[in-house]
Parts: sequence; structure tokens; C-alpha cells
Amino acid sequence: MGQQLFTFGAAFLGSAVESVEALTIVLAVGLTRGWRAPLYGTVAALVSLAVLVVVFGQLIVERVPESTLKLVIGTLLLLFGLRWLHKAVLRSAGVVAMHDEEHAYRQTVSQLEGATERHDWVGFVIAFKGVFLEGIEVVFIVVAVGGTSKYFPEAVAGGILAMLVVAAIGVVVRKPLARVPENTLKYAVGIILTSLGTFWAAEGMGASWPFDFVSIFFLVAAYLAASQLAVQLVRRPALA
Amino acid sequence: MRFIRSAASRVIGLFVADWIQTAVILVIVAAAWYAISGLRAAPVPVLVGLVVLLAAQHIWFALSEARRDARSTPLPSPSPR
Repeated sequence: MGQQLFTFGAAFLGSAVESVEALTIVLAVGLTRGWRAPLYGTVAALVSLAVLVVVFGQLIVERVPESTLKLVIGTLLLLFGLRWLHKAVLRSAGVVAMHDEEHAYRQTVSQLEGATERHDWVGFVIAFKGVFLEGIEVVFIVVAVGGTSKYFPEAVAGGILAMLVVAAIGVVVRKPLARVPENTLKYAVGIILTSLGTFWAAEGMGASWPFDFVSIFFLVAAYLAASQLAVQLVRRPALA
Repeated sequence: MRFIRSAASRVIGLFVADWIQTAVILVIVAAAWYAISGLRAAPVPVLVGLVVLLAAQHIWFALSEARRDARSTPLPSPSPR
């Protein structure tokens, strides 16, 4: 039950972060050029992503031996999580600017301003590209988290629910979700994915963790402590 | 074509921000794998070593990027007295 919830939570949080970024693009296109083309673009991207999840998910779960799957996906998840964590640490320490949805929104709007045609291909392509490219990360998180833990339906449910929640909020507020603490979420998801990646990669090597799944919480604590130490060390020379 | 290139670079970018850091992580994982599968070492010390090394490289690369960034950012001009 704990592992199921953890899988669902990791997929939900990771997907929510990427959905916020996709929503910003769709809103920028919709509010400047009308809604029809970006909605078609969004639907086309979501269908393509769903095909990727089904194809890769089934292929991975059914064809790849469990230990190989854990080692390969665990290592990829580790690389993915550490990349997010690295960026989050640099943002927390003030080395890299915080991701700003308002700024991303204004940038997309300024690129799109101009007359629209009856069949707005620009609106369609930009919405498709935005949702598809942000969605690739959602697909990876869902397939990696669900495929290795054997809780694929829970991971898919977490990903879909995250997209639905973000889309529903977007429909209500009709502006970029600038108040979502995206950097904090990315930090948390980075730690969770790094911990899951370490856990599965080691199981794929043939090692058994002491206390089994509970050891993930020790991994979370270790990576949280390391990243906090990194933030402190990075801040110090910057202030000197 | 541009879309495919952009999607491909996006997929690589999911896992690689800095090629050297990626190589270091892969070497750490490969070393742990060799110790457990090849040398049949006791798993717990290897797992502890794996986590410590991964955490250490995370701190090291964050610090080195911050240093690089500090060097590339020009110092503010001295204020007039």
C-alpha cells in the first residue's frame, strides 16, 4: 500500500510540474489567437503521448527482464532526478534565476501577436509542440516510476490526475499558474526520483536493501541533507 | 525536421545537463554494479558507498557550476566615493 501511494505521489507531483509549464504555453496561444487551434494541438499532443505511454509501458513491463529493467530505468531515473535536483539547488542558492511562469507566458504572447488566419496552423503547432515536449517528461516519469515498481496503473492514474487538476485550474483562472511553487515542487520531485532511481538501480544490480521499501525514506533523507548542504556551500562563496 | 531535432535534444536533455557529471554518475553506478555482481561484495557497505558517492558528486558539481558562474559574471564597478 505504501509503495502504491509513493508511486502514485511521485507520478502525480512530477507530472503536475510539467503540466503547469504546458498550460502556460496553451493559455498564451489561446488567449492571443483564439481557442480552437491550440485545443486541437493539445488534444493531438495528448493522444500522441498516450500512445507513447501504452507502447513503451507495455513493451517495458512485458518484454524486459525485471533486473535489467530495474538497473536501466533506475539509472535513467537517477540521472533525471539528479538533473532536477542540481537545477533546484542552484535556484535555491540564487545562482540560477527562478523559473517564472509569468515571464514564460509574456514571452510566448509576444511571439504570437499578429493577425490570425481561418486555419491557425501557428496556434496548432505551438500548442502541440509545447504540450508534446513538456509531456515527454511526464511520459518518462510515468513509465519509469510505474514500470519498475509494478504499479503501472497507479503511476498512469497519478499522471492523468495531475494533468486534469492543472487543466481544471487553468480553465478557472485563465492565467498562468505563477503562484504554484514550481521550483519547490521540482526540488521535492528531484529528491523523490533520485531516491527511487538509486533504490531500483541497486535492486537491478542484485542487492537487497535493508528494510526493503522503507529504505527509500532513508535515501530521501540522505539526498535532502546533501542538497541542503550544497545550497549552504554554494551560497557562502556567492556572499563573500 | 526542426521539431524532431528539438524533441530528440529534449529527450537527451532529460538525462544529461553536463556530460562530465553524467559520466561520473555512470561510473559510480557501474562500480557499484561490478562490486555487487562481479566481486560478490557484501551489499550494505556497497550501497552506503553508492549513496555517499552520489551525494558527494551532487554537492561537488553544484559548487563547481556556482564557481564557474561567479567567474563568468563581471564584478560590479566600485561605487564612487
